[in-house]
Amino acid sequence: MKILVCVKQVYDSPETLVFDESTGQVTFGPHTVFRMNRYDEYALEEALRIRERLGGAVIDAISVGPARAAKTIRRAMELGADHGIHVQTGDIDSPGAFERAHLIAAAARGRGYDLVLAGVMAEDDMESQVGPLLAAVLEYGCATGVIFEEISGNGREIAVEREVEGGSRECLTLALPCVLTIQSGINTPRYPALSHVLRARSSELECIAASSLAVPPPAQSLVRILPPAQGRKGEIIEGTAVEKADKLIHILREHSLLPRQGA
Amino acid sequence: MSGRFFIIALHEGGRIQEETWELVSFARRCCAAGPVMMVLSDEGSIERLAGELAHRTGLDVVGLAGSHLREYSAEAYIRTLVPFFRDASEEEEVHIAAAHTSRGIDFVPQLSIGIDACCITAVEDVGEGSFIRSLHHGRFRAEVRADRAKVVITVLPGAFAPEDIEPGKPGRIRIVPAGDISLSTRSRGTRAPVHANMGLTRAEVIVSAGRGLGGSENIRLLTMLSSLFPKSALGATRAVCDQGWLDYSHQIGSTGNTVSPRLYLACGISGAIQHLAGMRNSGMIVAINTDPHAAIFRTAHYGIVEDLTTFIPLLVDRCLKRG
Repeated sequence: MKILVCVKQVYDSPETLVFDESTGQVTFGPHTVFRMNRYDEYALEEALRIRERLGGAVIDAISVGPARAAKTIRRAMELGADHGIHVQTGDIDSPGAFERAHLIAAAARGRGYDLVLAGVMAEDDMESQVGPLLAAVLEYGCATGVIFEEISGNGREIAVEREVEGGSRECLTLALPCVLTIQSGINTPRYPALSHVLRARSSELECIAASSLAVPPPAQSLVRILPPAQGRKGEIIEGTAVEKADKLIHILREHSLLPRQGA
Repeated sequence: MSGRFFIIALHEGGRIQEETWELVSFARRCCAAGPVMMVLSDEGSIERLAGELAHRTGLDVVGLAGSHLREYSAEAYIRTLVPFFRDASEEEEVHIAAAHTSRGIDFVPQLSIGIDACCITAVEDVGEGSFIRSLHHGRFRAEVRADRAKVVITVLPGAFAPEDIEPGKPGRIRIVPAGDISLSTRSRGTRAPVHANMGLTRAEVIVSAGRGLGGSENIRLLTMLSSLFPKSALGATRAVCDQGWLDYSHQIGSTGNTVSPRLYLACGISGAIQHLAGMRNSGMIVAINTDPHAAIFRTAHYGIVEDLTTFIPLLVDRCLKRG
């Protein structure tokens, strides 16, 4: 069985993002730390568990991004992926979901993957699109938000449970090959084993220039980045920590939300 | 926006999902002329579902019917919808909207590839011929424009008010047989939630933790704070449950419990849309977070920028001292 896991590199914390009002661009501040998208960590872990269950499966990890994304692919190999593929986007820092899905599809086509796993969404763009777009481009079946999977039917199909609103689960069986987007909590991602770390250090990544892959023109364009919508006119309670505590206690008592203690 | 505009009404257990009525007001905001409601189901229930849509919205309804649509699957929806839209010419502008729910986000991106459309997800506002969605944990919004004549959209639940129901003339109904398509996906039904928590839905006060809590050792801070309130319970974001700091029965959000207590104390919660979906109707929301730009402060009635590991003990202490 051949498994492809899509891993995206994201910033560790949105607090290091810098918004330039004159250009309307969001850039990464100097202290930005990058890491693997957490949802993709669950996807990778699930792939590793499938390999342990079935034996003989081969896991490729793929990422689309600039030079720094190589670190996230290496991380996937440290965790146990057999092979790393980097679709290099050069100066383009973060292509959209549509481009990303088409680039992964172009790189994956002809390699005979039985199963493609990705996180349910990326923490930065929160589009939840790459997995199902990729499935449609490759003409694979697809299930999103997967919280349980079990390969059955002599490796020809996979039973999955999708987590839906309120925590209910939709149960379905898909034919392989297919794409699953993995919901967090399906497993507990492991730490890298030393043997894998050493092997990852000496393995070469397969690099493919995004410009060498034939993909359709973008389906959408960014008009501009905006500050967040002014939501509720909530009150920020100011003062020293003690004053803030006292003001909050006062507000809660005024609304009969906090009883007097010892009363 | 010109061209045809379709609203896909999702349903579960014979009931139209509530987000559908929000899509009607989204369509109006897009200035769509005469949006058409669309519903997919089997022959046994299609007329009743289409009838409900026609009566409640006064809009025309297309019902696509086939035995393969008895239960939801992305494959059934795509293989029905793609041929339906195939008759539209390449240049014809068509907008198709569905709710950004676990099902909407399951089939909509796949549909977009099948009809060569642009796909925009989690839309929460409308611009001049453009759509607005949040990114970067709600710190920024992106205004995006479609570069295809066809656009499929998922609309964030709660972003638009449900359209007032007009008891005027019901819309016309057209039932279209979608054939009986043999699917490679087999639906095996729905399982009830494993982690429903009645204590949480009955609590008057919920003290809830996000990733900003820092670790399971700080759960005691929440317990300390909640002990000030009778009828209180502990809640958490999905991230906190994924980390194992609290079990999933405490999870609040789109895939967890939905709550509306009198008071919701959000401690170290950034305010991701998936979490807000489960608690936005709380009576009073108070947020404590070190990050002054956290999205939660735009949902909260009161915000406090402090480190909760020092602030909660102080708050409890002041409360006990003042009696």
